[in-house]
Amino acid sequence: MGGAVDYIQFVFMPQVFNGLTIGVAVILMALGLTIIFGLLDVINMAHGEFYALGAYLGITLASHGVGFWLLLIAVPLVLLPLGYGSDRLLIQRVFHQKDRHMLTLLLTFGLAIIMEDMFKLAYGPNTIRPETPISGGTELFGNFFPSYRLFLMVFGTVTIAAVWLVVHRTRYGSMVRAAAFDKHMASSLGVPVGKVYSATFAFGVALAGLSGVLLAPIYSVFPTMGKDFILMAFAVVIVGGLGNIKGVVFAGLLLTQVQAISSLYISPVWADPLVFAIMVLVLMVRPQGILGGKLGHA
Amino acid sequence: MDTLNPPLSILQAVRRRDHIAHNAWQVFAFLFIGLALAFTLVAAPSGDTFYFRLATEALIYSGLAMSVDLLLGFTGLLSLGQALFFGLGAYTSALVLKHVGPSFWTAMAVTLLVSTAVGIVGGFIAIRARGVYFALITFGMAQVVSKIVYNTRELGASDGIMGIPVIQANFLLFKVDTAQAPAFFLTVLAMTMGLYFCIAYLLRTPFGRTLGAVRNNECRVPFLGYNPQLYKMLAYVLAADMAAFSGALYPMLRGFVSPELMYFAVSGDAVITVVIGGLGTLIGAIYGSVILTGLKSAIGTYTGHYQIVIGVLFMLSVIAFPKGLMGYLSPLVEKWLAGRRENP
Amino acid sequence: MRNRCWKTFCLTFAALACFAAYGDASEPIKIGVVTPLTGTYTGIGQQVKWGLELAAKEINASGGIIGRKVDLLYEDEEANPLVATQKAEKLFQVSKVDFLTGTVNSASTLAVGQLAERNNKLIATTVSFSDAITGEKCSPNVFRVNAKAGMQSAALAEWLAKEKPGAHVFYLGPDYEMGRSTVAAFKSAAEKKGAKSTGEVFAPLGNKDYSPFFGQIRAAHASVLYTSVAGNDTVRLFTQMAEYGIRQHLTVVGASGTVTSQNIGAIGKVADGYVTGVGYSPEIDTSENRKFVAAFRGMHKADPDLYGADSYGLLYFYKAAVEKAKSTDTEKVRTAMRGIKWSTPQGMKEMRAGDHQAIQDMYAVKVVDGKFKIIGKVRGNTAIGPDTCQRF
Repeated sequence: MGGAVDYIQFVFMPQVFNGLTIGVAVILMALGLTIIFGLLDVINMAHGEFYALGAYLGITLASHGVGFWLLLIAVPLVLLPLGYGSDRLLIQRVFHQKDRHMLTLLLTFGLAIIMEDMFKLAYGPNTIRPETPISGGTELFGNFFPSYRLFLMVFGTVTIAAVWLVVHRTRYGSMVRAAAFDKHMASSLGVPVGKVYSATFAFGVALAGLSGVLLAPIYSVFPTMGKDFILMAFAVVIVGGLGNIKGVVFAGLLLTQVQAISSLYISPVWADPLVFAIMVLVLMVRPQGILGGKLGHA
Repeated sequence: MDTLNPPLSILQAVRRRDHIAHNAWQVFAFLFIGLALAFTLVAAPSGDTFYFRLATEALIYSGLAMSVDLLLGFTGLLSLGQALFFGLGAYTSALVLKHVGPSFWTAMAVTLLVSTAVGIVGGFIAIRARGVYFALITFGMAQVVSKIVYNTRELGASDGIMGIPVIQANFLLFKVDTAQAPAFFLTVLAMTMGLYFCIAYLLRTPFGRTLGAVRNNECRVPFLGYNPQLYKMLAYVLAADMAAFSGALYPMLRGFVSPELMYFAVSGDAVITVVIGGLGTLIGAIYGSVILTGLKSAIGTYTGHYQIVIGVLFMLSVIAFPKGLMGYLSPLVEKWLAGRRENP
Repeated sequence: MRNRCWKTFCLTFAALACFAAYGDASEPIKIGVVTPLTGTYTGIGQQVKWGLELAAKEINASGGIIGRKVDLLYEDEEANPLVATQKAEKLFQVSKVDFLTGTVNSASTLAVGQLAERNNKLIATTVSFSDAITGEKCSPNVFRVNAKAGMQSAALAEWLAKEKPGAHVFYLGPDYEMGRSTVAAFKSAAEKKGAKSTGEVFAPLGNKDYSPFFGQIRAAHASVLYTSVAGNDTVRLFTQMAEYGIRQHLTVVGASGTVTSQNIGAIGKVADGYVTGVGYSPEIDTSENRKFVAAFRGMHKADPDLYGADSYGLLYFYKAAVEKAKSTDTEKVRTAMRGIKWSTPQGMKEMRAGDHQAIQDMYAVKVVDGKFKIIGKVRGNTAIGPDTCQRF
């Protein structure tokens, strides 16, 4: 009997907690991806590379004496114009064409290849690890929880809530949703659709960069790190319904919990196929995602 | 002239343009064969092995690229995981050659059987998804399968399978030793161009036209009395077979297979190849593959950062030259062909 | 077609005959180096390159090998066997190298080894430590001058038995063939010496978060954690262990590739206390090694690690063999290489004739302030284990 309680307290519960912290990380990655898709219909294959760019920028700025807390603001601010420019120069260039889904996917795929090699060129191939800004931990129910992860969960939740508020409760957000619903109608009502598109791409990219800064102390920084989250983030976006913020939160928590808990019972190697199987299943049964509904329609 | 002749109906005009475009591609196909034979004549007497085998590798990858073009250029389905079938073919052929018997034809036959079966299963999963979803599903499938292969001891895990014997491919009238670089190059050339002509022919039959209709407007296809899902499935399985067919030649060339054959890098390179060579031309995949393989080998000797070069080239193709190499060269040939037709 | 083959064959043969006739005397000896110059393993490729460059400089300054200079020709293999075989073939066929080395991951070494067999050339690895290369997948054309995984495990198990007799060990490996076989090898070596195994877990390669496994490690009440993760994965594992404070209760030991000079910078202080079995440390206190370390620092402004030292030693191995054979001919050099003894920064090494595995003394080293301090030593003959190669 004591064994069972011990098991729940020391094995199962920490697993759920760890799953939660990973879940928050994945949701942060998937948020930007889903916003960009929801509005622009663009699958951003370079999203992971923007996440890496955020982490690398953080390292560069930190080496010039910028403190970690300032980085959380500075890196997204640097990425905003970069994202805006990428959209203007690349995405909008092919946006009016018939095959724009494919073309933008291919373009961002090309961008990903180039960015990854640029990281190698600029920072070398070896791993870099920023120091954890908050060390130590908290004892809860006999388990040790690192303080930085607790902070990550709180900060992540606040960020997710803020993103939701921006999209659903601000003027910019209503323009975004209007453009996503019907761009011609929105444009004739005076919404500067082109600018809204670019701003949204920039916003999504800045979110990826923010995740990069936040996660670097735990996951460390190296040129191919962008590939790490991408399959999981895509799965979350698809399962949650492309462009659906609530869906992403739901799917992010669901899939990371499935992964964390299943790895107690089956080889962790099978966790990826399992997540993928769920994604395929959802696509077959509910192609619009579990919570359905796109950005403008929700 | 126009005033004397009755104007062509639109349909006729389209057919005729199509015909000329097709003929232009055929010209490029024959040109390619000519160039390859010229290369053989120049390189064989020098006793070269390396360039023959590099060229053979380019041809093998061009089969994979053609399968991507069949899906993307002719059916409108972007596969980001076509290496799955390429690797499947390579592993199947490797296992047959090593454990069943060193027979070229057995290896090819088993490979096609396996790839058809797996293609049907994969198609069942993938073709329900449209557009970008299809791309993500194929990406995910290849990712998952390559991880499983990487972890399966029976398949050699991360080391892959070594020791695939050198074989004598029996062509009734003569035999080809796969270790003989020029001879095997010509064999693979014949197989690849054979594949090209078969698929090019197939695409001009009603089957191919229906695929084109699916690409252009899937929603309208059912009203014409065709089932678009069926045609997408057929295209998917056919592409799986093409990729596996080329993949099966890989272990004959290199004598080993490894999980890297299924990695995203290989799938991604196939997409890059097709876009640079010219989407929807089929022959562009072959030219693109030779260009990309040559470029990688040449740049790779001088700098490790060839990804930047290839990435920039690729993005330039997408933005500025969306028709690819063939898309820009074939109008010239078309003009010449049309000119010949009008002034015999 | 047959006719063409025959013609090609004749021409090839004639060309080779010509080459053999002219190849000798003052022509430099060409050594191909197929090593990762980009990608995750760049750091290792760098050490390989540095070690070879230093040795080539020294050898050329003292008159070369049998009066011929040594020329190193590099190609990037990206740690990918598909690329490695293509590049190796170029070096064999176009550059006509006499000898080839540099491959890092075992898949590349095995694939290039097979290519060498088909081209009748010899290769050596200075990095790959998979037991299979000189075991079940051994090749008459492949030699290994560095220590294999089994030798590293033997040294570590010896140390563990002495320092922590009857330790309770938990195993955490990367879930792929190499990771699993390394864990299995150490497990059996440690159990023979009296250690108790309390559990094992395998995480996917490139795993992001190891915290989900910490519960199991805790629940197992282990005193020692053995791990064979490598590269970026090590950085994450150690960072997260520190985050969760589980290093305090655990002695962490592992494979030689787990903590290396490539990732120790990123791991930082957290690496301190890590113990591994390895074939080299810059701290080896012999005059040969001090001289080597000084020369290496002078030339490259960096410390050598085991890859640099083994690659440096490789050229002297080749030199000794060619001088004994008085030729660069494959057959003669192979015969000369078998059983040869040569001097390296690690002391004398001997190439075992039966499986082409070098015999060398092994060390248990502990990370102290980012340096690998020697804390134990095992004689080469004890560490190497039986010859399991069946092919020659």
